[in-house]
Amino acid sequence: MNDVRTARAFIRSRGRGPTSWSDRYVSLFTLTVAAAVLADPLTTAFAALTATSRQVDPSRLGAGIALVALAYAGFLSLARRVGPVVLPATDAAWLLLSPLPRRNVLRRTSAILLAASLASGAGLSLALFAVLAGSAGHDTLVLAVAVLVGLSAAVGGMAAAVVAQSSPTWESWLRGAVVSLVVAAVLTAVAGSGPGRQVLAAVTGAPRSLGAALAGLSAAAALLLVLQAWRALGRIHVSSLLATSTRAGHLAAAAVVMDPGALTWAAEDNHWRARVLRSRPWPALLSRGAPWPRHVVSAPMALAWHDWRRLARRPGRLTALLGTAALPALAAQAQGGLSAVAVTVLTAGALTAAAVCTAGARRDGEDPGLARLFGVNARAVLAARALLPALMSAAWLTLALGVLTVTGALTGPWWLLGPLAAPALAAGALRMARRRPIDHSMPVIDTPSGAVPTGWVVWALTGVDVAAIGCAPMLYALAVRPPDTDAFVAAQAVCGIAVLAAFLLGAKTGVRRG
Amino acid sequence: MTEPIIVVRDVHVELGGTAVLRDVDLTVARGDIVAVLGVNGVGKSTLLRCIAGLQPPASGELGVLDRPPSDDSGFWRDVVLVGDEPAWYPGLTVQEHLELMHAVHRSSRLDVEAALDLFDLEKRRDMAPATLSTGQRQRLSLAMALLRPSLLLLLDEPERGLDSAFRSRLAAILTEYAAAGGTVVMATHDLEFARQARARELTLEAAA
Repeated sequence: MNDVRTARAFIRSRGRGPTSWSDRYVSLFTLTVAAAVLADPLTTAFAALTATSRQVDPSRLGAGIALVALAYAGFLSLARRVGPVVLPATDAAWLLLSPLPRRNVLRRTSAILLAASLASGAGLSLALFAVLAGSAGHDTLVLAVAVLVGLSAAVGGMAAAVVAQSSPTWESWLRGAVVSLVVAAVLTAVAGSGPGRQVLAAVTGAPRSLGAALAGLSAAAALLLVLQAWRALGRIHVSSLLATSTRAGHLAAAAVVMDPGALTWAAEDNHWRARVLRSRPWPALLSRGAPWPRHVVSAPMALAWHDWRRLARRPGRLTALLGTAALPALAAQAQGGLSAVAVTVLTAGALTAAAVCTAGARRDGEDPGLARLFGVNARAVLAARALLPALMSAAWLTLALGVLTVTGALTGPWWLLGPLAAPALAAGALRMARRRPIDHSMPVIDTPSGAVPTGWVVWALTGVDVAAIGCAPMLYALAVRPPDTDAFVAAQAVCGIAVLAAFLLGAKTGVRRG
Repeated sequence: MTEPIIVVRDVHVELGGTAVLRDVDLTVARGDIVAVLGVNGVGKSTLLRCIAGLQPPASGELGVLDRPPSDDSGFWRDVVLVGDEPAWYPGLTVQEHLELMHAVHRSSRLDVEAALDLFDLEKRRDMAPATLSTGQRQRLSLAMALLRPSLLLLLDEPERGLDSAFRSRLAAILTEYAAAGGTVVMATHDLEFARQARARELTLEAAA
C-alpha cells in the first residue's frame, strides 16, 4: 500500500465505510437499467442521424463540419476553464500540501478526466459519423475513422489542457487552437455555401486510405499528448491546483444548493480580480442633481448603467455573442432547412443575449445588501434594467433572422420580428435573473419515464415561461411560415410590450429578506 | 430627550425554537450614538436586524422613524445598514461604486474624492473590490454608507478588519455624523472604539 492509499484509507475509516457488496450491486444494477433505458432512444437517434444524411451537398457538409468544430472548441474551452485538474477541497487542503507524490495524489482525478474525455469523444464521434456518412458512405471504415478521430481529439485535447495547466506556452497554444477552430468553423460554413464548394466536394471524394491515415495520425498524436500530460502531472504547480480546486469548491457549493447560476459568479469574479480597470465618472446625464423631469429617471438609470459599463468592458465577449447569431443559420443549413432544432437555437440564443446583460438584477436578487444601501425604488430600477437586455436581444435576433434570410432559410421581412420580440425576451431574462434558488421541498412526480423533481422544473422554466408567452406570435410564425407575416408582426408588437408591462407591474418590489 | 427615532419595547425573538432576545427595551433619540455590547451569540446582530425590519419579532413593539420598520425602498432612503459584506457589482472599481452612490443620491454628504481621501482608498480607486483586503473592503462599505444622506445608521461590527488608527478615525467620523443630526446604532465588541465615539452603551444579557 503506498502513502496516498494509506492516507485515503485513514480518511475513509473516519468517514464513510468501505464499499460493500450491496453498494457494488446497486451501482451495477443502476448502470444496467440506465443502459437498458438509453439503448433504444440512442439507437433510434443514431439511425435517424445517419439515415437523414445520405447524398449530402457540400453546403450541408460544410455546416455539419463547422458545428462539430464549434462543439470541439467548446469542449477545449470548458476544459481550460475548469482546470482541468482539480481536487476536492479536502484533498487540496490536506493531501496537496504534504510530502506525498503529486502524481499519486492526482491519480483519481486523472481517471475521472480520462472517463470524461472518452464520453465527450463518443459524442464527437457520433456527430462526425453523422456528418461523414452522407458523403463518404456507411461502411465500417467510415465508422472506425469517425470513432478514432473523435476519441483521439477528445482525449488528446484534454491531455493538452492538462499540460497547459502547468505551462504558459502550452496555455497560449491551446488558446490559439480554440480560436483557430472557431475561425475554421466559420470559414468552412461560408465555404460550403459559396467559393469552397469544390474543395468540400473533393473532401467527399477523397480516397479511403487518406481517412485511415488521418485516423492513425490522430491516435498517435493523442497518445503522445497523454504521455506528455502524465509527465506534467508530476510537476504541476500547487498554486494552479489550489486555484482550480477553489473554483471546484464554488462548483461543489453550487451543486449543494443546486443553483447552477452560482457557477457563473465564480468565473465572473475571477475575470475581474485579474484585471486593473480605469475608473470613469458616471455619465452626467444620469446624475440625480439633474433638473426635472430628468431626475425622476436618473437614479434608476444610474443603477442600471452598471450593466452597460460591464458589457462595454468585455468587448471580446460582446463580439463572440453577436458572432453566435450565425448559429441558427448554420443549424438550418446542416439540416437542410429551418428545423425545430434551428428554431430552438434561435430562441435560446436570443434569450441568452438578453440574460448576459442582467448581472445587476442577479446580484441584487441574490444579495440585496447593495440594493438596500442605494435605497432606490425597486420597480423603477427593474424597468431601467430592462432597456439593455431588450436592446441586446433585439440586435441578436435581428441579426440571426437576417442571416437566416440571406442564406435562404427564410424569405421576407422576418428581421422585423427581432426588435418586436425583444421586450418579452428582456422580461424573461429579468425574471430568470431574479428567480429564487431551487426549492427541493417541492414534490417529485412519478411518470412513466421516471421521477420528475418539480422544484428543478419550476426553476428551469422560470423566465423561459414569460419569454415563450411573449414570443408566441413569432414562434408560431416560424412553425407555420406563412407567405405574409404582417399579422404576426402586429401581434408580436402588441404581445412583446404587453408581457414586459405586465411583468414590471406584477414584479415583487420589496427587497428580499437577506 | 429629543424626539425618539427608535422605540423598542419588550421585544422577544426566537430563532429555531431558541430565545435570542427576551424583553429588550431601547429608545434612541435623534443625534444619539448607541453601542450594543455583549458576548458572542447574545443577539446584537439580531437586534439590529429587527430595527432594520429584516427579522420580525415574535412579540413586542418596534418603531423606527414613527413607523414599523419595513424592508422597502422608502425605508432604505432614510436608513442605512452596514452588516455582512455586500456582493459588489461585477466590473466596477472602488471609485465607480462611490460614483454610483453619488449619482443616485441628489444631495450626497461627501463628494467622491473626499470619501476616497477620508477612508484611505485613493490608491485603491481603480481596483475591483474583490482584490482589496478585508479591512479595505470594510472601509469601502462604510464610505458608501456615509457618502449618501441618511437619518439612521445601523452598523454591525463596523470595526471588523480595521486597524486601530482607522478605528479612531471612524469614531470621529461617526461623532461628526451624529453632531449633524444623524443617529447611529452599532453592535460592537470594541469598548475602546465605543468610548471614542462617545456612544451610550447598552449591554445585552443572554436570553436563553
